Amino acid sequence: MSTRDDLLARVRAAVIHAAPAPEPFEPAHRRSDFAAFAAQLAAAGGEGIGPLAGAALRECVADLCRRFAPAERVLASDAALLRLGTGPWQPIPSDSTPHALADVAVAILCGSMAVAENGAVGLDGREARPRALPVICERLVLLLETRRIVPDMHAALAQLPDGALAHHHFTFVAGPSKTADIEGELVLGAHGPRGLTVIGIDG
Amino acid sequence: MDVELFIPCYVDQLAPQVGLASATLLERLGCRVRFDPRQTCCGQPFVTTGARDEAARLARRHLRVFEGADAIVCPSASCVATVRHRYADLIGEADARGLAARTFELGEFIIRVLNRSDVGARFPHRVALLESCHGLRELELGWPSERVSRAPRPGVTESLLRAVDGLELCEIERRDECCGFGGAFSVEYPEISARIGGAKLAALSASGAEFVTGTDASCLLHLDGLRRRAGTGPRVLHLAEILASREAT
Amino acid sequence: MSAALDRRAAELLPAGERLTAHDAAVFALRVKRDAAARTEPDFERLREQARAIKAHALDHLDVYLERFEARAQAAGARVHFAADAADLQRITLELLAAKSARRVVKSKSMLTEECRLNPHLERHGIEVVDTDLGERIVQLGGEPPSHIIMPAIHRTRADIGALFEREMGSAPGDTDPGRLTAAARRDLRARFLAADAAITGANFAVAESGTLVIVTNEGNADLGMALAPLHIACLGIEKVIPGVADLAVFLRLLARSATGQPISAYTSLVTGPRAGAELHVILVDNGRTRLLANQRHRSALACIRCGACLNTCPVYRRAGGHAYGWAVPGPIGAVLAPALTAGDELRSLPFASTLCGSCSAVCPVKIDLHDQLVAWRGSDSPRAPSARRAARWAARVLERPALYRLAGRVTRALWPLLERRFAANPANAWLAARELPEHPGASFRARFRRRARPEDTP
Repeated sequence: MSTRDDLLARVRAAVIHAAPAPEPFEPAHRRSDFAAFAAQLAAAGGEGIGPLAGAALRECVADLCRRFAPAERVLASDAALLRLGTGPWQPIPSDSTPHALADVAVAILCGSMAVAENGAVGLDGREARPRALPVICERLVLLLETRRIVPDMHAALAQLPDGALAHHHFTFVAGPSKTADIEGELVLGAHGPRGLTVIGIDG
Repeated sequence: MDVELFIPCYVDQLAPQVGLASATLLERLGCRVRFDPRQTCCGQPFVTTGARDEAARLARRHLRVFEGADAIVCPSASCVATVRHRYADLIGEADARGLAARTFELGEFIIRVLNRSDVGARFPHRVALLESCHGLRELELGWPSERVSRAPRPGVTESLLRAVDGLELCEIERRDECCGFGGAFSVEYPEISARIGGAKLAALSASGAEFVTGTDASCLLHLDGLRRRAGTGPRVLHLAEILASREAT
Repeated sequence: MSAALDRRAAELLPAGERLTAHDAAVFALRVKRDAAARTEPDFERLREQARAIKAHALDHLDVYLERFEARAQAAGARVHFAADAADLQRITLELLAAKSARRVVKSKSMLTEECRLNPHLERHGIEVVDTDLGERIVQLGGEPPSHIIMPAIHRTRADIGALFEREMGSAPGDTDPGRLTAAARRDLRARFLAADAAITGANFAVAESGTLVIVTNEGNADLGMALAPLHIACLGIEKVIPGVADLAVFLRLLARSATGQPISAYTSLVTGPRAGAELHVILVDNGRTRLLANQRHRSALACIRCGACLNTCPVYRRAGGHAYGWAVPGPIGAVLAPALTAGDELRSLPFASTLCGSCSAVCPVKIDLHDQLVAWRGSDSPRAPSARRAARWAARVLERPALYRLAGRVTRALWPLLERRFAANPANAWLAARELPEHPGASFRARFRRRARPEDTP
């Protein structure tokens, strides 16, 4: 018998199959508007702007980018480019090497959904490509349709986009990278982005 | 009503005034108080040191001694918690449940059975309450600070103290952090026990209390021992002593 | 002689500023947990739901383990089973060797600490860099983590500044957490980019979808997984939960209980490997099946490694994690050690507690921690023969009232002797920090009898 079979046999011998699964959890009602989401995002060290649309949206993102970096170091995903059109940003080169990515100052991506209870944005693996981009950039900008904000994690996990769990990863990002490992003092930008801005999109 | 006193072994031997105050108090409240001299120890120290066989024998004996008693009252929350939560494992569910239903901590007996919160006591001093762990978390004599999702209500012990004439209850930092006694822990882990107790003593001192009280003389003796070594800090008095007090101004 | 943990606490976390700082830093996490619990109206109901899900999952672990394996493999992951620490070490080494991987970045995994993976890999010429800042600090300092969420909580900024100056070229005398973190960011960034493999733990493994859930605040696990061509995820078999809906319950409890945040910065749901990369999942037993078979003690396997019990434990806060001598300290460590370790010292950890019950009150999955401590004391934890003898004799005395009364009279007669300092004084452990209670005088029963009440005469 293999290790696997031995282990599974031990597990089988140890269980009784008596403890029932509980009924689905029914959470208390809570808000799912952009303001509620943005408040939680702020508490997590991020920034929420909007909701905006059209030219105002493009101007806002352009301002943010100009503040942080020259256009060569700002990359936007195809989905983001669709929303924003041209501006002080580049499309993501299809042959990006990790080292090239390490130079990225700002990455602009589209969130699939967001969670009002905790300020998290769901980033689909199909959007966050290459995988390292949203974690290796200095600042992350996420565009989010406000109608995709759900109240809590129960709703979020029940409403994951089709295929979210079939495309390697789906990450809930709540604020910038952070640590408090040195005397409990909060520091933003441990390994990942030092700043996260979520821009709400109306309609 | 008839009450059988359940006096813990350590109260019997080391803090007899607590037992006497309990008896006086209950008589004042209209009870006829008896003490069965066959009792010795409920077995708690044996439970906590892992001496299960011995604990079971003492538990069986305790059950026999108190057979037929309708109201067993004990001035020690940890001993009552042993009967209520550890006896099922030692003497079986049915016997344990029957005994537990008749066994009360002193304060909970006064409030929940005698339906009194004002016992006519007078103790015009600043007092801090040591909410001992067994009483708080196992007997629910108070509101544990971990339980935050609903608004706290004053517990049994606190209610009784607030009704004492002239008594001023002092707030302490980390009000329900353990005092560090823990039975055999105090002598098997003496350094850590002293650290925890020292911190508790400091919090009690900082509250401005003249006295510290609680439901367990064991915790109080540990704190008093630290106080007398340190030379500073509030003096200890068991809940029964305060409630039996009719101190003039 | 006091217990080993007590002596180690005195040595490793000396009384004074360090002790005060440690206690304050750890308790601050408890305060944050309270604030998060207070503002979440679902909190108590979530705890009960989590308890029930874990009870069900553990009692059907055979079903869910096989389901996870099948679904993870269908998504392109390779799934391995390790019987014990040695197995985990061997499998990991083989996987690395197959890819000629020599430089590894590693994110936090208590399981790999428990199985002593790092030293094993290093002995075989693998460079392992812990990327969680706290873990990196203790790695550079040559010591194990002392807390499961904040590995370097026992270290001051002065300690870390000196360490980084030596190991990472940070400016001499600089103790600013922001700048020290920046120095680590630069150093570790280079290692992420050069890594041949990333080793992670996993907080949960969802059977329904074959998904690993990996949670960090720093994003270090994500950076490792995103850049290295080989990802090895190590987890205990008890981490498997039934479905995606169940995950919501745990994610709502985990960060709130650990640090008071409603959610950590990065919660990654990983199903199958990244395109062009490999994902290997190693499911580890190491004593867990034995604990699973023990109905009385099985509940400890529900642990989600949040650290709340450590933060609230007065013993942990004033002893420090290193005093426990095991990868997992605190109440949960004391409850797992008798089942998962060997040796009298670790298996005696259940005695290192005052049984205050605060741990049980904060546990997000409602493990009956303090009841477990009592149960282990009564069942399997080793007691010294002298303690056994003392218990036998004490019980005999207590079963005979006349003997008990005599023992009481003798003790009271010898009381003045006990109050004195001499080597063989049985009261020495008490007297080290406390005065004995004042001489008791007559016992309660003697005084009560003297009160001369008619109904008292036997």
